[in-house]
Amino acid sequence: MSLEPFNRLVKLAARAFYDDITTKGDNQPKTGRSDNRGISVVVLDALTRRQWVREEDLAKDLKLHNKQLRRMLRFFEEEKLITRDHRKETAKGAKIFSAAVAATNDFHHTGKEGEEKVKLHTHSYCCLDYAQIYDVVRYRLHRMRKKLKDELENKNTIQEYICPNCSRRYTALDAIRLVTPDDDYFHCENCNGELVAESDKLAAQEAGDGDDNARRRRREKLKSMLQKMEEQLKPLADQLTRVKDLPVPEFGNLQAWEARAHAHARGGLGDGSSNDPSKSSQGYGGTPMPFLGDTKVEVAFGKEEDLKSETASTSLKVLPPWMIKQGMNLSKEQRGEVKEEVKMDGTSTSSTVSDDKKSSVNTDDKRSIQDEYVKAYYAALLKKQQELEEASKKQQELLISNTSNMDSGTSSARQVGMKFKREEDEGDEDVEWEESNVTSNTNENYKVNDLNVQAEPSGGDEDEDDIDWEEG
Amino acid sequence: MFFHITLERNMQLHPRHFGRNLRENLIAKLMKDVEGTCSGRHGFVVAITGIENVGKGLIRDGTGFVTFPVKYRCVVFRPFKGQILEAVVTMVNKMGFFAEAGPVQIFVSNHLIPDDMEFQSGDMPNYTTSDGSVKIQKDSEVRLKLIGTRVDATEIFCIGTIKDDFLGVINDPTTA
Repeated sequence: MSLEPFNRLVKLAARAFYDDITTKGDNQPKTGRSDNRGISVVVLDALTRRQWVREEDLAKDLKLHNKQLRRMLRFFEEEKLITRDHRKETAKGAKIFSAAVAATNDFHHTGKEGEEKVKLHTHSYCCLDYAQIYDVVRYRLHRMRKKLKDELENKNTIQEYICPNCSRRYTALDAIRLVTPDDDYFHCENCNGELVAESDKLAAQEAGDGDDNARRRRREKLKSMLQKMEEQLKPLADQLTRVKDLPVPEFGNLQAWEARAHAHARGGLGDGSSNDPSKSSQGYGGTPMPFLGDTKVEVAFGKEEDLKSETASTSLKVLPPWMIKQGMNLSKEQRGEVKEEVKMDGTSTSSTVSDDKKSSVNTDDKRSIQDEYVKAYYAALLKKQQELEEASKKQQELLISNTSNMDSGTSSARQVGMKFKREEDEGDEDVEWEESNVTSNTNENYKVNDLNVQAEPSGGDEDEDDIDWEEG
Repeated sequence: MFFHITLERNMQLHPRHFGRNLRENLIAKLMKDVEGTCSGRHGFVVAITGIENVGKGLIRDGTGFVTFPVKYRCVVFRPFKGQILEAVVTMVNKMGFFAEAGPVQIFVSNHLIPDDMEFQSGDMPNYTTSDGSVKIQKDSEVRLKLIGTRVDATEIFCIGTIKDDFLGVINDPTTA
């Protein structure tokens, strides 16, 4: 069974329906800082890369507050996107889960052993419920379509009747009082004239032309809305049809999953390498992996882009803004926007993605990257200082030699001086180069883990974004 | 939808009923007064299932009538928008048809009848499909969906639709 199409489904659905969900109540003012819209997308994306996960771990990985994440997850549970499991655990119980995780994924949670020494606590776990998600999304689309179509066809609207004589209006709810035993028609209570249904335009004309126009406008609006909906949700609908015949990935409940993970670990102890998620990025071959490699992300986004270009090639559509947010390389026409905006979008996306990435990378890894960066930075600084010192020394020497050569006045010394000066310049340049190299190196380091980032995030941006996410 | 609820009512009882059958008289009068009535809030009172308690009577000045606060349990029927009902057609005309589901009157206007059904006037007005396989006339049983309710203080009137999946004639009197 393959997870990839289902993960894509989840991602598309998240962007389509849960993009502007905030966990805050409506009464609180939404300031720029505390606006956490889009967080649901991040959470869902993160969940596509996991199976059962302890909520605290997820919160830690996403750099979210526990409470905030839990509120989000509760919302998703109500939306029937995820299943959750709560249980009271001793340190031992918690270990079962950690062991299950560690068994299939050796390097990932190794640093956690010490933390599992918690007393009796209720731990919550959550997991995407793919089968249900598939149904929920289908149902949601069906409801949306049906609602619009019903409106369009006047299906569930209450018929109105007009008396052509006195232009008094009645609704179908008055029908019982309007009916007379002697003929088939409704009669006006005032003048006993025959009523006509309001949709009969010819008869209704004298009663209200403006109303008619309003109705037509409404119809137009509904029609365009329906059309827009079909257009914008096409990727999602396509994905639904693609997923239709695939077997749904099923993790079972928490206990079953843990048991399976254990069994697998025991069976596959010989080939520990196969448990490495980085190597088994493609193969979710029936063996439960609690942590699926980050590489997956790239595949998903890449495909999305492919699909985009497919659809774009057939007809260059203006993409809906919620699709563009994913930071894809699209032509301007496809975006149908001003470039500046696009840029902004790009940064926000990269931050999202990088955040995702970060969450997935082990904290140890992160630390090491940061350490490396710091080390490299200090090394560069040191080097620069040394070279500056050297240069100044040389300059002093030069001065001395110049003064000593002053008497003789030979041009050779000056030439040497010139050379020295040049060297000094070069030295400076060197230092600068070194620095930029360092940063680019770290960027590259970073990219190895984060195959997915298309717009290269600069280090500074990153930090800022991190802070944003933490507070958001 | 049906509900089993507890209601309260102040019953006025004439002094001639006072005696050892006072309670029976009170309950008989309650049933006569309440069953079959309609309140906008609770819907139609279908049946009284039991008396919870009868409070202390209060003699009214001047008349001699006594007021008893009576608490009783009863089954009520309250139609809701979106509810699916089965109803018997009572009248068919050009504007649509009327149907009854117990005490509730429902009107289905002709634009909420599927487009392939056409009105046939005559001795027995009816709505028929072009191939004549489905016919709605007086006494047909139809399943319909309520799309609007008009709730007054003492009456409830509904409008319904049969223009949806699984709605329409469920039992034709002519074929039965």
